[in-house]
Amino acid sequence: MNAQKRNQLIDELIDGTISESDFLILEAELRVDPEARAVYYARQKLTAALNIEAESLSTEMERERKTVSMFWRSQARWVGSVAAVAALAVVGFLGWKVGKVDSPAEALAEPIASGYAVLSEQSDVSWEGGTQLDRGDLLPQGMLRMESGIAQFELFSGVTVIMEGASEFEIHSPMEMTVLSGRIRALVPAAATGFRVSTASGDVVDLGTEFALDVTSEGADMHVIEGEIEWHPESKDKRLLTDGESLRWSVTGEFSESGFEAGAIPVIDDFERQFANQRLKRKQAWQLSSERLGSDPRVIAYYSMNAEAGWSRQVRDSSGSGLHGTMVSARRVADRWDESGKAVSFSPTGSRVRVAIPGEHNSVTFYCWARIDSLDRWYNSLFLTDGHELNEPHWQIMDDGRLFFSVKRQEETRTRDDKHIAFSPPFWEPSMSGKWFQIATVYNVDDRTTTHYVNGEAISQDRIPDDLFVDTVRIGAASIGNWNEPTRGDPYFALRNLNGAIDEFAIFNEALSADEIADLYEQGRP
Amino acid sequence: MDPEKQDAAIVSLLTQHQPALHLYVSSLMPGDSGADDVAQEANATIWEKRHDFEVGTNFKAWAFSIARIQVRKYRYKQAKDARFVFCEELEDTIAEELGENLDDVSEHQAALQKCLQLLKPADRELIYHRYFKKTPLKEYGEQVGRSIGGLKVTLHRIRNRLQACIESRLALGEEASL
Repeated sequence: MNAQKRNQLIDELIDGTISESDFLILEAELRVDPEARAVYYARQKLTAALNIEAESLSTEMERERKTVSMFWRSQARWVGSVAAVAALAVVGFLGWKVGKVDSPAEALAEPIASGYAVLSEQSDVSWEGGTQLDRGDLLPQGMLRMESGIAQFELFSGVTVIMEGASEFEIHSPMEMTVLSGRIRALVPAAATGFRVSTASGDVVDLGTEFALDVTSEGADMHVIEGEIEWHPESKDKRLLTDGESLRWSVTGEFSESGFEAGAIPVIDDFERQFANQRLKRKQAWQLSSERLGSDPRVIAYYSMNAEAGWSRQVRDSSGSGLHGTMVSARRVADRWDESGKAVSFSPTGSRVRVAIPGEHNSVTFYCWARIDSLDRWYNSLFLTDGHELNEPHWQIMDDGRLFFSVKRQEETRTRDDKHIAFSPPFWEPSMSGKWFQIATVYNVDDRTTTHYVNGEAISQDRIPDDLFVDTVRIGAASIGNWNEPTRGDPYFALRNLNGAIDEFAIFNEALSADEIADLYEQGRP
Repeated sequence: MDPEKQDAAIVSLLTQHQPALHLYVSSLMPGDSGADDVAQEANATIWEKRHDFEVGTNFKAWAFSIARIQVRKYRYKQAKDARFVFCEELEDTIAEELGENLDDVSEHQAALQKCLQLLKPADRELIYHRYFKKTPLKEYGEQVGRSIGGLKVTLHRIRNRLQACIESRLALGEEASL
């Protein structure tokens, strides 16, 4: 029996899948061959070690933000078991397991998120306590207090609710909410008939309509714009309201047929116009900042995705260096302000924007706004040079949501790494699918650090070890949103295109400061 | 020796020999998930019989002989579910050979950790399912759309790579790649 076959049988033996005849063959081998036994022991040892270590993989896979490195956790575990033994000597013996930690974690379960509604539009909204919510965010659970502005949210039942001005409310389920105060407009499709809004003076149960409700501490005014609602007052019989009817109901139970003044109810178009204006205003603010960025002398290349291109597949460099990119397979989609055609989607297989960036650089900053739909590949590309040559940077996102940045230092051998990889903690999870993020990574050769930023905030910084430090960065031919493999003439390729879109991308030949990145984020927030 | 000191000595010897004891038990019971429990039983019995042990004599031989009896007891109870059992001679050899070079357990563990980091995500996931979730290969194969045979081969290769990686790390005491 050759060694490979033998080793395979050893694995089967330990896995408990070996056949009876193979067992006899292997046993005979183990009896006579010390080398076979050595392999057997080594595999048993590896199995024991893996049984312990697999637990740490579980936490990694659960995307926990662990700041303590795996190494120290494991050390602590061994030290811990020794300490436990010492304790046993005092309290008496009950039995123990070395290295086994009883924390069966549910890992790799189906991704979950929590909430019943998504903030779909907002205009000048300020939330009490400085809470920041972006379009597309899930509304947090519990009582929400809006100080001003107009917010529109979509409940998973299909109900659209628009809140106006100061209001206090809570969403209990896709079919039920409480309003303590505030003006709301609800559009309830047939699929969500029975949607209930509770107030201090009674409940509105919708029978498939559009209605307006103004809740104050004194009572509730309601008006049916279209369809029917039921009004269930506290301790009184319910009433049915239909098209155009209004009702004012006080907390003390007094009522009148007139609630809203005629003409005081804005039509839904007014709201939509207002939301669109808000987006336009935000986009104009960004455009000013984008123009400044284009003329920043530190910019090597800047793809704002908004500049007039020479032809449809060109992605224009707005920095004046003329380093225009070319779209391959990628499609133009709506940008982060919902303006169509101003972002590039890399989801179609083979998508990329090809660029060639000349020169040698020291510190560099990579900056983009990206919408991630999923991280379903091992490596999800942001910006990678072709192949992986010395001094070349690779910028991508791991399947567990960690940012990855490296500059290749040397060829890899069995005993040494080829580069230092700066990983951030995971910043993305499936509940963030479809949201736009500002992502930036600063490679600083003066401090020898790599800093990852998400939405204007540094999420990690690590020092590059001396033996893997590289002070010169070269780019050359590269791709935004994908990776070009070094092999040529081979039709097979790894799927690494970003499943998502990018609507702004820049490379700087200097390390941007934390303040500058925070400022770019504020100017560029949709 | 007064009993308190004797106890302390046993605790320290037992601690020191834990990895070897576990390895010994699992080597006698390949592919049997009861190995951990048997090792526990062995620990308990060793502690009960601690006064039989003469400090200064060969602790490993004594502890292993107790462990071996526990393995037999377990097999006896499990008789209906006959597992693969080595012949006496091979069990003797294993008892003699094991526990000689086991003082690098924590280094071994640390090396494995580093090496696991170098695995491809899909391979890490397989290891995680095989060793932590204990997902049966058949079930896992269905989840990821792979055959059992294919997964076995992959597991074998991953183990080879991990082992080579650990060995080179331990040998060099420095960075090693897969």
